[in-house]
Amino acid sequence: MPRPESKTITFTIDGREVSAPENTMLVDAAKLGDVEIPVFCYEPKLGQPVGACRMCLVEIEGIPKLQTGCSTPVKDGMVVYTQSDRVTIAQQAVVEFLLINHPLDCPVCDKGGECPLQDITFGWGGGISRFVEPKRHFVKPLELSPLIAIDRERCILCYRCVRFSQEISEDYQLVLLDRGAHSYVATFDGHPYVAPFSGNIVELCPVGALTSRAYRFRARPWDIESAGSVCTLCPAQCNVAVTVRDERALRVLAREHPEVDDGWLCDKGRFAYQSFHVPERITQPLVRDGGFLRPVSWERALDEASAGLRRAGARAAGVAAGTTTSEEGLLLARLLREGLGSPHLDARRSGTVSTGLARALAAPALQARVSDLEFAHAVLVLDTEPVDDAPILDLRLRKGVRRHRTKLAVASPGATTLAEPATLCVRFAPGAGAAFAVALAAALRGEDHAALARDAGAEADQVAALSDLLRGSESDEAQGPHEVVILWGERLTAGDSADHGAQALLSLADALGLADTDGAGLLEIPAHANGRGLREAGVLPNAGPGYGELAGAAGRDAAGIAAGLAAGELSAVYLLHCDPLRDLPDRQAWGEALASASTVVAHASHLTQGIREHADVVFPAEAYPEKEGTVVHPDGRVQRLRPAIAHPGEVRHEWRVLAELAERAGLELTLHSGAAAAELLYASVPFYAGLTLDEIGGRGVRWQERAAATELGAAAPPAPGPGAASASAGEAAAYRSLWDAPEVEFSPTLEFLFPHPELLADDRAASAELLAPELETAS
Amino acid sequence: MASPPNSEDGGAAGAPGTSAATLNVAAWSPGDDVIEVQRTPAPGPTRSTWRTFVETLRGLGTTFGRFHETPVTVQYPEEKTPVYPRFRGRHKLHRFEDTPQNGAQAGLEKCVGCSLCAAACPADCIRVVAAENTPEHRVSAGERYAEIYEINLSRCIFCGYCEVACPFDAITMGHDYELSDYDRTDLIFTKEMLLAEPLERTPLRNEGE
Repeated sequence: MPRPESKTITFTIDGREVSAPENTMLVDAAKLGDVEIPVFCYEPKLGQPVGACRMCLVEIEGIPKLQTGCSTPVKDGMVVYTQSDRVTIAQQAVVEFLLINHPLDCPVCDKGGECPLQDITFGWGGGISRFVEPKRHFVKPLELSPLIAIDRERCILCYRCVRFSQEISEDYQLVLLDRGAHSYVATFDGHPYVAPFSGNIVELCPVGALTSRAYRFRARPWDIESAGSVCTLCPAQCNVAVTVRDERALRVLAREHPEVDDGWLCDKGRFAYQSFHVPERITQPLVRDGGFLRPVSWERALDEASAGLRRAGARAAGVAAGTTTSEEGLLLARLLREGLGSPHLDARRSGTVSTGLARALAAPALQARVSDLEFAHAVLVLDTEPVDDAPILDLRLRKGVRRHRTKLAVASPGATTLAEPATLCVRFAPGAGAAFAVALAAALRGEDHAALARDAGAEADQVAALSDLLRGSESDEAQGPHEVVILWGERLTAGDSADHGAQALLSLADALGLADTDGAGLLEIPAHANGRGLREAGVLPNAGPGYGELAGAAGRDAAGIAAGLAAGELSAVYLLHCDPLRDLPDRQAWGEALASASTVVAHASHLTQGIREHADVVFPAEAYPEKEGTVVHPDGRVQRLRPAIAHPGEVRHEWRVLAELAERAGLELTLHSGAAAAELLYASVPFYAGLTLDEIGGRGVRWQERAAATELGAAAPPAPGPGAASASAGEAAAYRSLWDAPEVEFSPTLEFLFPHPELLADDRAASAELLAPELETAS
Repeated sequence: MASPPNSEDGGAAGAPGTSAATLNVAAWSPGDDVIEVQRTPAPGPTRSTWRTFVETLRGLGTTFGRFHETPVTVQYPEEKTPVYPRFRGRHKLHRFEDTPQNGAQAGLEKCVGCSLCAAACPADCIRVVAAENTPEHRVSAGERYAEIYEINLSRCIFCGYCEVACPFDAITMGHDYELSDYDRTDLIFTKEMLLAEPLERTPLRNEGE
């Protein structure tokens, strides 16, 4: 779908000529002429303006009454006044009206100091009130949800939160109840407002009516600093701004990036920062001694880890997950491959895609950008549940359907939250994603797909309907090439069917001509937050940095490592931000594997079960605002984490720990800074060549758009032909939602969203039992 | 750069930006910098004698003329100079007098922990960390209260802006100026110290005094 284009027109505002794109709203167009029109309810992210607050009244020549600048599109030759007497009187009247029922409790209000109502009253208000009668009063503050407090007295009825709930997240929970001065925001049925994106309304509220319970009264705007970062709690890698006071993260706000997050955040990204500052967080190295994990010095922990790994030598293995940065992945790969001579490492949950196919899937021509999800003619969500895997993409898909009439199709093994906006929902058997893709590719090529669809557990006519939808009708074709984006989950290439899945995707892309169409392509949601970056850094059993060929034989993948450990063929395992019992499929196999491993070295921030019961050396892991390193967005955007807060306790940079271990294993790295580690990464991966921290900046850069992208090498031509993929039900069942994470579990106000309350109590008690007494004796 | 810009030989070569190598260092002489001071002519013998005896005696006259006066030295710390009512000494935090709660003797704190004093403070010596009142634990009258309220009096410049900024008249400047201590950390006054009734050590100046 072509991106919106508009011609530039000229209009006059306050006596000066300004050029602006046609049909932008006056409020936005005025900014181009350095004129500010005050607004409360207008927020372009929320879609069509509503003109509810009347703050943006302006005088337009030729129109007798004052007009709302937020809902009047600018036209050529328009003459606008924003500072005439009529406008000034109207603005002062609106402010006076809004303040009639506003309690003016700014000193105790969390918004005080960063409040649009304060700013606009100061800038455009009359400065006095003629209202002497008693104000309207409500009971306050109420819990709108465990995360959000509502103060109904302060509300100015701008409708922003209601519009967000109705039109953006489409959970349809918030409404305005009652009439007139007694109107208030609430859920219709009085239940708490619990939704995956509820926290956004706190940031949207232009007054202090909706406040975050986690941030409540923690700081005032002049006490805090803001530090830009990238949330690495899920693969969506939204850009965030961390609010810092006294070296602690107090709040996380969205840092709008149209190519990544569109200015929204999910509740995990917004509230899980609390888990960085809880007493359960591991802040010093632990070593297992007499069955208990005891706090020790870094020297001792490094000695133990280094000795254990060296004893294992080529029988060591490594698994990376979670918020591991690409630098850490690269250093882990070099430690294992060069230091210990072991090729066994993995950053995928399960299954191995052969190098040629992995390279073909990463081909720059095939990559869709996040904004393509919004503007494509059709989007296929294949074997992934965005709200559980990368929530922010869920909002993007809804936006595409709502604003650009994108046709959304969802093919999934279970029920999906996208069923409502979707044009077509197709089910297949759990674990049969690859088989389904094969059937769909056959249908797209016009071959007989009935038998293939039956193998995948899908209805043949539904597969046919899906292929018709993706191919587009003939009237669509008249408007230009039919853009299709396939949003697929890593589980499509899980287990034994990894290569089948990859091949099926490539043949789908081939049948739809994704490589030749601008704005079409594939977009993978990896299982781990930096899954793409780790693979590109060479944390794979069968490929080096940049999907390069390995010198020796390929190693074992994650499942192979578990089997090897259980069978005694491997003896040590290095877990980077990974608790296999939680993060990897086949919990039982991993339980046995870890129990029989002689050395388990882990970087962990919380004592989850696998770490608590099996780790021999635990290094305290960094939280993402403490990290320095590179992460790669699923669409290839290389982004940079910069330290925003200080390390608590004795936590050290993880790249430093890995470099130290690698040097003890005989490598010569001489890394002295995070920037040097980044340089090493950019030099190691061919298609990152010449990347600098300046080029990445605060917004990231897609490596596919750089000249060095050709270094990826020619993709191996996909072998077409139906790979008969078998459905393995266990695979799909083993996938966990991103809400099932220690960051959610250990955040006091977020823990109600943790899907396994029984685990919660279990982990809490065990952490308290294991860690707390030890810490007390240590201090 | 040894050569002053106005010296004759240096000035020609030593234009701004030229390196030391181009300066004619050997031709510089220290004599160029010497400035002759113009002195008044030395006094003659009569004037010298006058200065030695008469002027000295005149000075002594002033000294002896004050002998009958009482000393003005204040015997601090036994005696103290009274201060004016609006003197700005160490801060005090206040409580409401009429709202004793939960069996406590004193009333609720006036401070709600809004941190406006910290925002106004030009010396950045106030630190406020707020917390939420609960029905079981009510500290102030508003929704929030100051969990931590600290003033670093070794940084404070006693300008009184905090007092002006406070929307609840919770902080005022007292009269106490005796703030020396043996340890800098002892000069960080906590909320309890600021709330406590201070020892009235400073006499207040009476009306018209």
